[in-house]
Amino acid sequence: MADDKVIEVRNLTKKFGDFTAVDHVSFDVFQGEIFGFLGANGAGKTTAMRMLCGLSIPTSGEGKVAGYDVYRQAEDIKRNIGYMSQRFSLYEDLRVYDNMKLFAGIYGVPRKEIPARIDEMLQRLGLSEIKYKMVGELPLGWKQRLAFSVAILHRPRVIFLDEPTGGVDPSTRRQFWEMIYEAADGGITIFVTTHYMDEAEYCNRVSMMVDGKIVALDSPKNLKAGYGLSSMSQVFDLIARGALRSE
Amino acid sequence: MNSAIIYLLVKEWKQFWASSFLPKLVILLPVLVMLLMPWVSNMEIRNMRIAIVDNDCSSLSEKLMQNVEASEYFIISGVHRTYDAALASLEDNDADAVMVIPQGMEDDLMKGGQVSVHVAANAVNSLKSGLGSGYLTNIITSFGQELQSSSGQDASIPVEIDLQYRYNPYLDNVKFMVPGLMIIIVILVCGFLPTMNIVGEKEKGTIEQINVTPVKKREFIFSKLIFYGFMGVFVFSLSFLLGKLVYGIAPYGGFGEIFVGATLLIIFMSGLGLAVSNFSDSMQQAVFVMLFFMMLFMLMSGIFTPIGSMEKWAQALTYAMPSRYFVDIMRCVCLKGSTFNDLWFNFMMLAIFAVFINAVAIATYKKQS
Repeated sequence: MADDKVIEVRNLTKKFGDFTAVDHVSFDVFQGEIFGFLGANGAGKTTAMRMLCGLSIPTSGEGKVAGYDVYRQAEDIKRNIGYMSQRFSLYEDLRVYDNMKLFAGIYGVPRKEIPARIDEMLQRLGLSEIKYKMVGELPLGWKQRLAFSVAILHRPRVIFLDEPTGGVDPSTRRQFWEMIYEAADGGITIFVTTHYMDEAEYCNRVSMMVDGKIVALDSPKNLKAGYGLSSMSQVFDLIARGALRSE
Repeated sequence: MNSAIIYLLVKEWKQFWASSFLPKLVILLPVLVMLLMPWVSNMEIRNMRIAIVDNDCSSLSEKLMQNVEASEYFIISGVHRTYDAALASLEDNDADAVMVIPQGMEDDLMKGGQVSVHVAANAVNSLKSGLGSGYLTNIITSFGQELQSSSGQDASIPVEIDLQYRYNPYLDNVKFMVPGLMIIIVILVCGFLPTMNIVGEKEKGTIEQINVTPVKKREFIFSKLIFYGFMGVFVFSLSFLLGKLVYGIAPYGGFGEIFVGATLLIIFMSGLGLAVSNFSDSMQQAVFVMLFFMMLFMLMSGIFTPIGSMEKWAQALTYAMPSRYFVDIMRCVCLKGSTFNDLWFNFMMLAIFAVFINAVAIATYKKQS
């Protein structure tokens, strides 16, 4: 792993009125790494991620993604990242192919290259048979894989996945993580939030967020060793016990 | 053109056809409004029921009643002995007006004297009573003139007023309403569809997936504006075609004026819809705000009621209604054959409104919160 920093965050803070959703968060994410962003519901994971994606302006602190500043260069950041939101947000009234073509097109993939790239992606993710299906008719697991493929279609440097496997069964989740590994092998940096602790085990490094603050950040192995526990789930229980906020 | 806009337009086009509702709406709305509304919004009064109190019981009063009945506007609901009885039938809603023929009318008229006929109308529906009693007065007056001329006493015939109705010689209400209805169709389609589309994207969350791409604000807004602009022009053309074929509007041509004006209004309405949806998070909110604007645009632009008969302050306010300028254009072109030279002020104002509101729509669209 190179020490090439793709995401650099120092004291990043977001306040909504009196409420501090993200409170002076600092961390780095390196090229090609799978970075798990853990926390209970309401801990501030999504808010932090939205600031890094250029969807939300931070209240204070510094942040750089792919070398661009989150305040002044949000649009440059957007060119270099892929984003999969917690809630499925592709067009349900379009076909799979039309959705992929739309996003490939607006990310500036050359027109002639688009059909080949879509076919290759569909084949790699085992989605070829649903190429002309209406997105709204797909089951949730397929939708999530489609959303992931749209997020990496334009070959971004980083992809942000916000609870990508919510609401599906364990085997579908495992399949999803195989896709994540494949993308990471291809050199894409993965920034993923989750509250499934078995998924945390798959990450290179994880940070744990409680009440808007990062309270632990290390590899799963080191975290478990440090607390003398056998699973990430136990580590999380111990750390999250002090949480005041919940949904 | 910018390629991102093309991809977004293709997306709008495919979504439009994937919808089970929109293609039907843009065909059925103009067809139904253009074919049905001119007839139901007709303001002519027919079949007004009239109760008569005949205190004279002469051959002349008989003749007057025949004249009233002979007109297509009135039906005699009953002839009563007393005014109270007639008024009771008015109260029971068996009659819309009461006409009292005074005692000794025939004698007085034969002697060349003055006679007054009393008319009382139920003014709960003020339009009906106003027009109805106007018609009735006409019948009575011409009855009097007829009598005077037949008896050779034409000395007292007053100065005749010769009215000429220019541009709409038969005061054809349908001709007056049709251009107004075309404007209402444009206001409805271009006001609601873009608003519901963008707020729909907000509610479904799809707008966030767009906001996280490098698409520029103006590209996104223009893609919606172009798409709904073309839809507006299509809907307007369909209404215009129906207006031409069914009602024969715009006999003097002026299609250039009509379509340039319509396009400007369409761009304005779509831009307003986009601006409103930028400020609205839910469908209800957006639709109610748009409804507010649409009511203003329809009621204060002279579509239904003449601007000249509004209060002074309301007349001043109409200058802030872009629809007002297009209503002027439509009526002047359709009824008088006016041209760009006569109407340049209206076109200029429409263009200013259209550019302004779209600038607001782009400026207020936030990709970042």
